[in-house]
Amino acid sequence: MQGLKPIVSTESPALIFGTTTKLASDLPATDSFLGKNKVPDLQKLFQKADGLPVHLKRGVPDKLLYRTTMALTIGGTIYCLIALYMASQPRNQK
Amino acid sequence: MAHQAHSYHMVDPSPWPILGATAALLTTSGLIMWFHFNTSYLLALGLLSMLLVMLQWWRDIVRESTFQGHHTPTVQKDLRYGMILFITSEAFFFLGFFWAFLHSSLAPTPELGGQWPPSGINPLNPLEVPLLNTAILLASGVTVTWAHHSITESNRKQAIQALALTILLGFYFTALQATEYYEAPFSIADGVYGSTFFVATGFHGLHVIIGSSFLSVCLLRLIKFHFTSNHHFGFEAAAWYWHFVDVIWLFLYMTIYWWGS
Repeated sequence: MQGLKPIVSTESPALIFGTTTKLASDLPATDSFLGKNKVPDLQKLFQKADGLPVHLKRGVPDKLLYRTTMALTIGGTIYCLIALYMASQPRNQK
Repeated sequence: MAHQAHSYHMVDPSPWPILGATAALLTTSGLIMWFHFNTSYLLALGLLSMLLVMLQWWRDIVRESTFQGHHTPTVQKDLRYGMILFITSEAFFFLGFFWAFLHSSLAPTPELGGQWPPSGINPLNPLEVPLLNTAILLASGVTVTWAHHSITESNRKQAIQALALTILLGFYFTALQATEYYEAPFSIADGVYGSTFFVATGFHGLHVIIGSSFLSVCLLRLIKFHFTSNHHFGFEAAAWYWHFVDVIWLFLYMTIYWWGS
């Protein structure tokens, strides 16, 4: 955990953004065009004081994606070093 | 509870920068293996890991801004500087290819028949598909500005329609360019004309695809209520990039397609 805690608190996420802009809840019902606003729920989720870094904040799906990326990159690096080592071997002149 | 006494964003420790650098290593070595030994596994691995890193890194930035509120006006100002510097660097990238084209076309060598277009090259008619493509990109510049105004005026439906139309115009341009590439009577191997034409327009086309992808992500975020009427920098960055792509096309059209035919 970094030395300074983030400034954002877990209560009332609406305080982060200025109240001068229209909130989705203020808009008329017709503006639920294409789905409803889940941003406040996500703000609560991502501001939970659980000490998790942002790239793992969502839990299991984040962990899976991170581990897959790590595995591919590290595996690829090993493959790359072997391939470059082999490519640097001189071909025998016939 | 300690709070920061400044308006900057001290990011959480993140694996993406170093994994991104590793992905670049795999991609470049992959290109070597593909060119020299005709195997594409490493290249595929490199491109895949590059895609995964980009997705997760940018996903995290959306989380940090929209969901955690870290993008204060100070942070936003610095992001604006960053995007402008990046676009400037891309302008210099294209400047090199324009230089190459002008170098060869302003003083055509005897090998080319002392003329431009070189002997034996039938250039594309600039008043056919290339002119349509110009109109398409100019129109898309209008629709993306319309989308921006709709966002600042909190008009959700119009913003979504305008941005979707912009993206469709981008796809239409790409599809038309692809057919032009397929139907062209000359190829990249046809001397310096072919090289300059396909490398310059090819990199432009790649940037249209990148710009369309950026705009598509913005459309998704717009639908998901991420943008507010006075804080939507992701969209502005995409719109700047799109205008840049449009301007590059105008230069390409005027020099390579029109003057060069």
